[in-house]
Amino acid sequence: MAHDDKLIQELEEKKALVRNNIFRIFDSSLGGHCGGTMSILELVTALYFHHMKIDPNNCDWPERDRMVLSKAHCCEAIYALLPEIGYVPEEALDTYYCYASPFQGHADRWCTPGIDYSGGSLGQGLSFAVGMATAEKIKTAAKPPVSKMPQFLPRLTTIYNPTYRVYCIVGDGECNEGQIWEAAMFAAKYKLDNLINIVDYNKFSLDGPSREIMPMEPFDEKWRSFGWWVKEIDGHNLREICDALDLASNLYGDGKPKCLIAHTVKGHGIPSWEETHAHLARGEGITMGVKEGRDIYG
Amino acid sequence: MAKWNQYVKPGPPSPDFASAQNNAMIKVAQKYPNVVAVLEDMGFPAIGWFKQNAPQRIVECGIAEANAAVIAGGLAAEGFIPFINSFAFAAIGRAYNQIRQSILVDRFNVKIIGRGGAWGETGISHNSVEDIGYTRVMPNMVIVNPCDSVEVEKAFLAMADYIGPVFYRQEMSPAMMSIYTPDFPFERGKAYALKDGKDATIIATGYMVTEAVRAIPLLEKDGLDVGIIDMCTLKPLDEEAVIKAARETGAIVTAENNTIIGGLGEGVAAILCENHPCSLVRVGIEDEFSQSAKPPTDKQDDLKIHFALRAEDLVVSVKEAIARRDALKKGG
Repeated sequence: MAHDDKLIQELEEKKALVRNNIFRIFDSSLGGHCGGTMSILELVTALYFHHMKIDPNNCDWPERDRMVLSKAHCCEAIYALLPEIGYVPEEALDTYYCYASPFQGHADRWCTPGIDYSGGSLGQGLSFAVGMATAEKIKTAAKPPVSKMPQFLPRLTTIYNPTYRVYCIVGDGECNEGQIWEAAMFAAKYKLDNLINIVDYNKFSLDGPSREIMPMEPFDEKWRSFGWWVKEIDGHNLREICDALDLASNLYGDGKPKCLIAHTVKGHGIPSWEETHAHLARGEGITMGVKEGRDIYG
Repeated sequence: MAKWNQYVKPGPPSPDFASAQNNAMIKVAQKYPNVVAVLEDMGFPAIGWFKQNAPQRIVECGIAEANAAVIAGGLAAEGFIPFINSFAFAAIGRAYNQIRQSILVDRFNVKIIGRGGAWGETGISHNSVEDIGYTRVMPNMVIVNPCDSVEVEKAFLAMADYIGPVFYRQEMSPAMMSIYTPDFPFERGKAYALKDGKDATIIATGYMVTEAVRAIPLLEKDGLDVGIIDMCTLKPLDEEAVIKAARETGAIVTAENNTIIGGLGEGVAAILCENHPCSLVRVGIEDEFSQSAKPPTDKQDDLKIHFALRAEDLVVSVKEAIARRDALKKGG
């Protein structure tokens, strides 16, 4: 399970490329949800470049792992890695926010190869991921013989893997939405162990700190009491993320949906964004942060 | 005696809506093995069949319409055809943004069966008078609103054959007459003329087709030859049929079990204004909510009287439309 240093080093290099692409996106758009984007940088790097099963030559491969970015305003982090996988030409990075661009202001499944969910209206992504995970269960259960197979037959961990897994990234702020918990109940009821939900717990939403806007603590207890397997991790530590994702995946067959609560920092790695807990920055707020970033990371 | 067009044979109320819909649901589920029943704790057509033959295709979400709508989107993204069933106010009204974001934006193949219309014992909360309006404005949404048990079944099958989101508006009034013969060839997006007429045309949908049919003998008594168009598909509206009627009679009455704001009447008005301005009277519910009442029957029709949606009221409106047309002709 332990990941070797070489892999982590490779992922660090990928992360640097993705971060540079994020800066390039902001160079032309002069605006974006920089805080939440920087807080999921390591998470999406680990998912797309190591953990998720994807085919760089076919973004629609039916057996690919699905990614539902429920906090779809932070699509910049995913847009930045799509050219590195090869789904989208690099020049698209300069067209964010533009008319007819594959990079729309919120992630859009029709416009962008490699995007599985059109989001933007918060609190819905987990339900969508749950729908996709349920679909996988029904399809697998429907394999012959159909009529005699009980509903959502649990499978043996050691022998089977799901056809695909569904990953979902939700923000801590959108967990204020009741629908997140409706989806959580459903996932436990239908034993969706092919679903891994990652909470980007950066502790700030637009109006201020989560503990003042709408306290979510005890966060892990909430998920656990809804019937989920829960693990808290440092969302900026690639090794810890990879270990946790492996652990969660290997528990497949236990009949529990998985939740990783990733402790993160809004605007992570950019001093001015970290300081202001920048949600959406425009103009100088963006260019200054990008400049800081380039000074620090080269 | 009224001369009805082919496939039209008005008869007594057909109380058999539920079974027509159940049969259609079973046919659809057999034809498409990827149809799944998404339940919101509000029952489902032919659920017994699903339980017996395809339990793995039942997805029970409980009383959580918003969650159910988005789960249906996720299932559709993976190639399933989810059917949702509830009251329109819940299945759509309660999950409006979820349907917009997670079904319509991506044009997912989700079918929503929603009970609409002003009738019912359940009262102001459940009797929905505005559902046609709030679904017509949604891009990518198709709306069908059948008028009798034959059309129920045909529309149901047509809805399943169509790839994309559909709102199937279910009025299910036991007072709805049987209108069509079983060989009626339903065509999605096409209105059907039950009867031609030279003096005026009633464009009706759902339950109000019944009242329009009942109005014909009353109108004939007054020497008026009035046509009826059954506008089952409320979106997209059959523009051709509307324009043709306007050319032929120049006096149009729309009739709907919905508020006249945002409903069939306004849709027809827009088509007329842009293509063939003529006299129009919209019959429907004024800007108000409904309330409890026993469903209308031959003997009992409290809400029909309250909302002025009886055949007798249609007669008044037809005469008004004709008078307005004649005044327009005179340049009055």
